[in-house]
Order: sequence, then C-alpha cells, then structure tokens
Amino acid sequence: MNTTTNDKIKVARWIAWIAAGFSLMVAFLLIANFVQIHLNDPIDNKTIPALIKRLSQDSGDESLKAEIRAFDLMARKAYFTSQWQLRTGSYLLLLGVIISILSVRYILSAKSKLNDIDPVEKINGLDQLVAQKWVIYVGSGLIVIALASGFLSYNSLKEYMVNENLVVQEEKPAEASTPNIQTQAETPADLPNSNGGAPSATTGDNATVAENTAPTQAPANSAVAVPAASAPAVAVPAGFPTMAELKTNYPFFRGAQGNGVAAQKNTPTDWNAAADKNVIWKVKVPKAGFSSPIIWGTQLFVTGADAQARVVYCYDKNTGKLLWEASADNIEGSPAKMPKVTGDTGLAAPTMATDGRAVFAIFATGDVIALDMSGKRLWARNLGVPDNHYGHGSSLIVYKDKLLIQYDTNKSGKLIALSTQTGATAWETVRSSKISWSSPILVNTGSRTELILTTNPNVNGYDPQTGKELWNIACLSGEVGPSAGYADGMVFAANEYAKLVGIKIGGTPEIAWEADEFLPEVSSPLAVNGLLYVATTYGVFACYDAKTGTKNWSQEYGDGFYSSPIYADGKVYITDIAGKTHIVKATKDYQLIGIPELGEKAVCSPVFQDGRVYLRGINQLYCLGTK
Amino acid sequence: MRQLKQTILLISILLFTVVQSFAADAKQRFPKPEFDTGYAHPQTTAPSARLLFLEYMDILVLLVVLSLVTWFVLKKRSRNGVFWTSVFSLLYFGFYREGCICSIGSIQNVVLGIFDPTYAIPLTALLFFLLPLLFALFFGRVFCGGACPLGAIQDMVAIKPIELPKWIQKVLGLIPYLYLGLALLYVATKSEFIICRYDPFVGFFRLDAPFNMLVLGVLFLVVGVFVARPYCRFFCPYGVLLGWMSKFSSKHMTITPSACIQCKLCANSCPFGVIDEPVVETGKRRSNVNRLMTYFVILPLWIGIGGFAGSMMHVPLSRFNETVYMAEQIVENPEVKNDPDNIDVRTFMSSGKSTEQLVIEADAIRHQFYIGGWILGGFMGLVIGTSLIGLSTFRKREDWEPNKTNCLSCARCMDYCPVGATLGERPDLKSKIVNR
Repeated sequence: MNTTTNDKIKVARWIAWIAAGFSLMVAFLLIANFVQIHLNDPIDNKTIPALIKRLSQDSGDESLKAEIRAFDLMARKAYFTSQWQLRTGSYLLLLGVIISILSVRYILSAKSKLNDIDPVEKINGLDQLVAQKWVIYVGSGLIVIALASGFLSYNSLKEYMVNENLVVQEEKPAEASTPNIQTQAETPADLPNSNGGAPSATTGDNATVAENTAPTQAPANSAVAVPAASAPAVAVPAGFPTMAELKTNYPFFRGAQGNGVAAQKNTPTDWNAAADKNVIWKVKVPKAGFSSPIIWGTQLFVTGADAQARVVYCYDKNTGKLLWEASADNIEGSPAKMPKVTGDTGLAAPTMATDGRAVFAIFATGDVIALDMSGKRLWARNLGVPDNHYGHGSSLIVYKDKLLIQYDTNKSGKLIALSTQTGATAWETVRSSKISWSSPILVNTGSRTELILTTNPNVNGYDPQTGKELWNIACLSGEVGPSAGYADGMVFAANEYAKLVGIKIGGTPEIAWEADEFLPEVSSPLAVNGLLYVATTYGVFACYDAKTGTKNWSQEYGDGFYSSPIYADGKVYITDIAGKTHIVKATKDYQLIGIPELGEKAVCSPVFQDGRVYLRGINQLYCLGTK
Repeated sequence: MRQLKQTILLISILLFTVVQSFAADAKQRFPKPEFDTGYAHPQTTAPSARLLFLEYMDILVLLVVLSLVTWFVLKKRSRNGVFWTSVFSLLYFGFYREGCICSIGSIQNVVLGIFDPTYAIPLTALLFFLLPLLFALFFGRVFCGGACPLGAIQDMVAIKPIELPKWIQKVLGLIPYLYLGLALLYVATKSEFIICRYDPFVGFFRLDAPFNMLVLGVLFLVVGVFVARPYCRFFCPYGVLLGWMSKFSSKHMTITPSACIQCKLCANSCPFGVIDEPVVETGKRRSNVNRLMTYFVILPLWIGIGGFAGSMMHVPLSRFNETVYMAEQIVENPEVKNDPDNIDVRTFMSSGKSTEQLVIEADAIRHQFYIGGWILGGFMGLVIGTSLIGLSTFRKREDWEPNKTNCLSCARCMDYCPVGATLGERPDLKSKIVNR
C-alpha cells in the first residue's frame, strides 16, 4: 500500500489530536489531584492531633492507640498515593505533550520546510521613533514605580534601631539625675516593654552599663509547663521572703544563705536506699543533672538537661509525685548546638533558686528561666553562651527582688543581677577574675548583707543591692570550684593546689590564717560552731579550728567528695561520690554518727526538710527518713 | 549494521547502570530516633555527590555540543543539524541533568565567587559560564541555537510564531537587563539565586516544581507557540552577556553563503525578528543628529535618576533576603517569637542570636542593597539611554543580515536562501520563488 504525504499528514493530525486530548485529560486529573491535596492534606490531618490529645488524657487507652495508628497509616497511604498519582500523571502528561508537539512539527515540516512567520507592517524610520517613545515611557515608568515604592516602603528596622538608641539616650539623664540605681531598676513600672530593652545602671568603678537586653516574656495565655498530674494551686505570698521563711524552706544551693548551714532539726541519720531502708520515696529524674534539689513549701525542684531539652522538674516533696515540668525552650539567643561540656558537669549542674514567689534555673547554654510556682513561665532569657570548658556550674541565689548570677567565663568575669519579676538586667558588675565555678553566698555581717564569691585570684565581697564591690583579697589560684564558707565574721575560701584561707571581714578585710594540707577541688568549705570542714576529691574529710586554722582532725575515706558538707541539727553531713553519707557530730573531736548509703553514686549535696533528707543520686532522687 | 546498533545500545545501557550505581552510595543523614518497640529501622540512603568525572563529562558534552552547533551553523549551514543537536541538549542538559548545571545560572556562581571569599566556584560552573561566552565571542550565540535546554524546549513549541512590532521588542528587551541586574544584586548580597529559583522550565525537567512555577512554565510554553522563545528573548539574563560577546563575533553566521541577491525570501523567516533589513536614513538628517545628541546629553541624567530610583528601592528589594525578612517579621510582629509553628522563627530562636544582632545584620544587608540599588538603577538608566541612542543611530545597510547581538544562531533563515541551493532538491524553496 502506497501512502502519500497527505495520508501521513492525516495520521499525524489524528495522533496530534489524540495526544493533545490525552494530555488535557491528564492535566485536568493532575489539577484535580492538586486541589484535592490542598483542600485535604493528609500530612496536615487534624484528626490525629485531636486523637493524640485525647490519648494524653488517658494514656492507657489501647483502642485509641490502635485508632491513631490506623488513621496514621491511612494518612500516609493517602499521601503516598497522591504522590504516585502526581508523578505518574506528570510522566503521562509529558509523554502526551511530546507526542502532540512532534506530530504538529511533523505536519508542518511535511507541508513545507519554509514556514513564514506572520509579519507586521514595518516602516523603518517610524518604527524607530515609536520604539524610542515607548522606551522613554517604560524607562520613566520604571523610575516612577521605583521612586514610589521607595517612598511608600516603611523601614521598620531603622525605626527599631533608632528606638533602641533612644532607650539608651533617655536613660542616661535619668542615671545622672537619680544616682540611686535601686529605684530605677527595681521598679517594674519603669521597665520598658520587651522590645524596648531593659534599664541599665552603672555600679561603681568595676561596673559596666548593663546589656540592653530584655528577656522573652511569655504570652499571658502561654502555659509552658506540662502538668504531670493535677498540680495543686500554689498560694504566692507578697513581698520578699523573710530570713525565717528562707530558713524554714531550702531555697538555694547549700541552704538559706548558701553557706551550708541548714536550720532544720531532727535530721535522719540512718538509711540504706539499696535495701529500701527508710526510703520514703524515690523517683528517676527524666533528664540527667548534677543540680541539688531546692524546696519551698511542699514543692521540690531540680533541673535536668540533655541535647534535646533543658527542663525544670517540680515534685511533691512528700510523695515524690511529679507535679509539673517546664522546658527552657524558645529562648531568644539560645544556641541551636549545645555547648561542649564535660560528662562530670553536664548541661544542668547549677542548682536552682527560689524566693517562694518564683523559681529560677540556669543551664550551661546560658539560658535563665523564671517560672511561677505552678510552672508557668514568667520570663526567660539567654545571657550569652558561657565560654566554659567544663560547663557552667555556678548556682543561683536570690536577694530580695534580684536573681544573682556569677558568670565567670573564659572570656570575662561578671556578676549579674536580674530582676526576679521581669528578668531585666538590674546591674552587671565586671569582675577582675578568671573563669570559676563557685556559687555566690549571702551573709549578714551584722552591719550589712554581703554577697561573697571566690575566683582566681580573688575572694570578693559585693553589695547585693547594687553590685558594687566592697572588698577583695587575692589569695586563690587555679580553676576555682569551691564556694566560700562563712561564720562569725570570717570568710573561708579554698581551692586545690592553692590554699585554704580564713579571711576576717568587717573594717579592712585581711587574711587571718592560711593552710594547705587538705584542699578541696569541688566541695565547698563549711564553717559552723567555730569549726571549719573541708572535703577533698581524694577522699579526706578534715576539720579545722575556724579562728586559727589549726587542724582538729582529718579522716581519709575510700571515696572522694564532690558534694559539699552541710550542717544540720548539730551534725555535719557529707556524701562521697559512692553515695555514702558520712555523718559526724559538729564538734572539735571526730565523732562518727553513721555512714548511711544511697546505693548509687552521688555528687549532689543533701537537702533537709521536715525531718527528712533529700538526696539526688546519679540516677534517682531520694527522700530519706523515717516512714 | 543491526548487530552493531544492538551492541551500542547494550553498552550504553550497561554504562548508564554502572554510573547510576555509584550515585546510590548510602549515607546516614540523621541520627535514628530511639524506639523501644523493637521497630527495625529501614536503611536510609542519601545520594552522594556527583562523581567528578561525570562533572568533567558535562563540560566535555557542552564543548562537543557547542562545537557541533558551530559546525552546523557555519560549515554545514544545516538547520536540521542545529535542531537535532538542540533536541540532544534538551534531553541531556534538561531531562538527564535536570537543568543543573546550566550556563544561565552559572552567572550567579561566578558573582558569588567574586563577592564571597569563602565560596570557591566549582570548575564546572566556571567553564559552563565561560565556554558559551567564548564561542559567542567568535561564532555568535551558538549556545542559544543548540546547547541551551531552555531554548530547546521553547523552540519545540514555536509552532505558529508571529512577528512582534519593534517597539514591543525593544521594551520587552529591557527586561533581561533588569533581571541580570537583580540577579547580580541578590547574589552579591548573598541573598538568593533568583535565576535558579525562578527558572520556569526546570520543573518540567525534574517533573517536580512549586505550583506557581509550573503555571509560569506552562504560560511561557503556551505563549511560546506564538511568540518564539519568549524567555530567551525577553528574560534570559545570560542572553545579555552572550549578546555583548556576539556583537563582536568575527565569524558570525550569515544568511547567504556568499553575496546577497536581495531576493527577500528570508524577510519573514526569523521567528525572533532579528534579521536586520537594508537601511536607508529617513527623515531630516539635522533633526536626527539633534535627537542623537540630545540622547547623548541626557544619558548621564538617565544614569543618575536611575541610580537614585534604584537606591530608593533598597527597602522593598532587600525583603527577599531571608535575614532582612526575618528581622522585619520579628520587629513588626514580636509575637511570632512565641509561634510554635513558625519554623523560620523557631530556627532563629535557637540560633543563639538576639533580635538586636539580627536587626544589626539585617540593617547591614539593607545597606548593601542601598549601594547595589544605586548601581542597579544606574545600570538600567545606562541601558535605557543607550537603547535610545541605538534607536536613533542609522547605520547604512544594504543586505539582509542577522542582528549579531540578538541572533540566536538557530539557522532557520539559511533554509530560505536560494544562493547556492539546488532547487531541484528543494521544491518548497522553488515554489516560494515561483509564488513571489
């Protein structure tokens, strides 16, 4: 059979039409698929989150779990089916379009190789003139559009920056006219909103202008805390806590003043957690941390952290029930990548602090978070990731309405006071210090309250109200971990490979005595009843005469000490890293009361409350005492 | 012969399979989540980087294609040769290489290499940028004719082209300069590769694209049925550079193999409207000269006003930079910082930066846009001014010649030229001569 060109063209035309029709149909189906997916996206299915929410209320509902799984499988199937349809449809459409185009091109080339375009009438000179005119019109139009959009556009960044500068400029005259920094910084009404920055203040020769940073204010309806059970409503008292309140509770690392002296009575001396003897309760804290517990009322707080989350846990101190937990997340400036820390410091080494109105926590990321007693976030901010080769370890302490933070890093040394209500920087004092891990203690010298810090090379006293340095004595060296001890007008500081010093403060502070036989690396000295106790990493627990520095006794144990000795009810408690707590009478002579065991390793210091001792082991948190 | 073909096919399939197997090298990208349900993790894979020799093969293919098109255009004078080479380019650089690497986008790599000292431009990108320009400098835009997959896909659908009036061509012809300027501005400020992001055809090559880009691609193809190669002529930023090079090409293609016989058969052959007709000066010479002088005088004005207007655009233009966008978002709506669904903001919040730092960074970038806006506006002013000068300049021309700057070297017009053609083998040409 001879086929003519016309026959071929006819066939090609049919093919072109069929291919075009097929392509149109596939295109229509693809669009329908696209619309369907957009209207009802299986990935964004609302049913599954609703079911998961229901499951959170009743986590044991197996039929609900099965229903969720079935829905999830269905959503996945729907998604992948639609993806398959899209992909297959695309291939089919492409094929159809190619066939139709090839057919049309064949028809055109079969008809003639020469396909003239549809011309427009051309008049050379006139075309040039018309083109010039249009180029001028369009060029001018472009310029007008550019100018108009420039004039109409609003540069919010510039305004923000100008406003930021205005905050600083407005504050300067206020500082000059009102040297009382306390008034400016302490009145919440004076604080600008979260976008306007925080008030700053200078605090003497060593002080700097506070950073113009403000914390992230959680929205009013934002409940950050995840209630683990129905948390009881917590009554929040007004004003600042009294010393009696502080002593009744256990608000800071090493007690109400941070010096290791607990006011509690009837403290237990006999337990064995491994044998479940006198264990009132024990719980596993979900995330690891070396922070010691703090207690206010019936609530006990600890922190835990890993690379995924930094969390505050609140337990019922009587039952060990987890009341709530709150994550320190979504904090502006918080690093995406966790800072490098060593295993024995971790991301949650600092102990929290509370004033009974709020609880405060800091993590190795530099994140500071304030929560109310029911776990709702009050504020949070990042102080800048501390350059700390072990990890930030200094615990928090509260003085009146200020949260006091030692922030000695490899880059600089700082003592920072944040408003407990807003998190705004109240003052910030630059310290002439190297990096250290010691925690602040608050002592009443009789005439004033001082915040005392140890570092390399200084032991410093500060006014906790203003951050002004009151005194300093250079006597330490190395990487200072132990915090100061204090009793009867004397400050005690020590560090391994440095020395142990007794400093008489009041008037002109001076070193009263020095010793160097037993020096702690991590554990802080405890001064009480005219005695000074130090515990070393290599397992020696020693007692000195606090006034003279004469050694009364020393005992070498098998395991070293990271935790600090705590005085309670005429006894001194010191827990070694094996979890054995050595209890001695707080007397000049060595009188061992007992060595109760936790049954696991421990580096945290014991906490006392209501005739019970709370101890955090490496894995579990214990409440110990007579049941 | 049949056996030879089968052998070649078999070898090709084997080679392709081996090459693909290299790319399937498995890599674990993310740490596995910890399940305590005994769930067995499937082996996840991620494609490894393209093998170096394959990248060199891309360069080799480009070089061969460019040489082949040059040969077809200048020596063989074969439209068919050019057409089938462009089909190959569409299949290789388009569907096989999925539109990447591409010479058009390589402009951005080169500019980034200049402005970002931390970026080392890959040799492939550099050569993909340079080779077509080099060929254009000597032989005209042979890259557009047969090596560009974007051009090829549009050429396929140019079924019923119409000629556009000169003023439309001139006005639309300003767009590539603007696009080029914007592309350079966004790369120099390390904001965006807009040429790649807004490539209308890459979605077809990859069979995957955002819906709006797919629609844009379809629109270009539909328009391309009647207005041949709309992207190449009125958008392509690389075409600007190729045009500049091609203008100086010494061996550019000609319509006739020897002297033009003024038959005018090629007059309506070019779907791109880039055949310059013979020109004689019209109008009064004095007024023409005056107009030309005026355009020369106001050229600095165009540049100055254009620069100022461009600088005014720095605020809206900079919003395409993600740092600026994020800063504005947070400054204008601080509540987004608490939005758990805003992934960008969440990423920023966990980046370790404060809002102040972000704003300072964004402001610095915006300042770069201010400087860049001056340059871009000035450049556009220069383009407009020189376009006007070009439109009022008369160069006497006696023959029908391809416009060296805009000719895409597709070789269509050559088929229309009877000079040297054997009319016995070309009935279509013969009938065209007869029907004149």
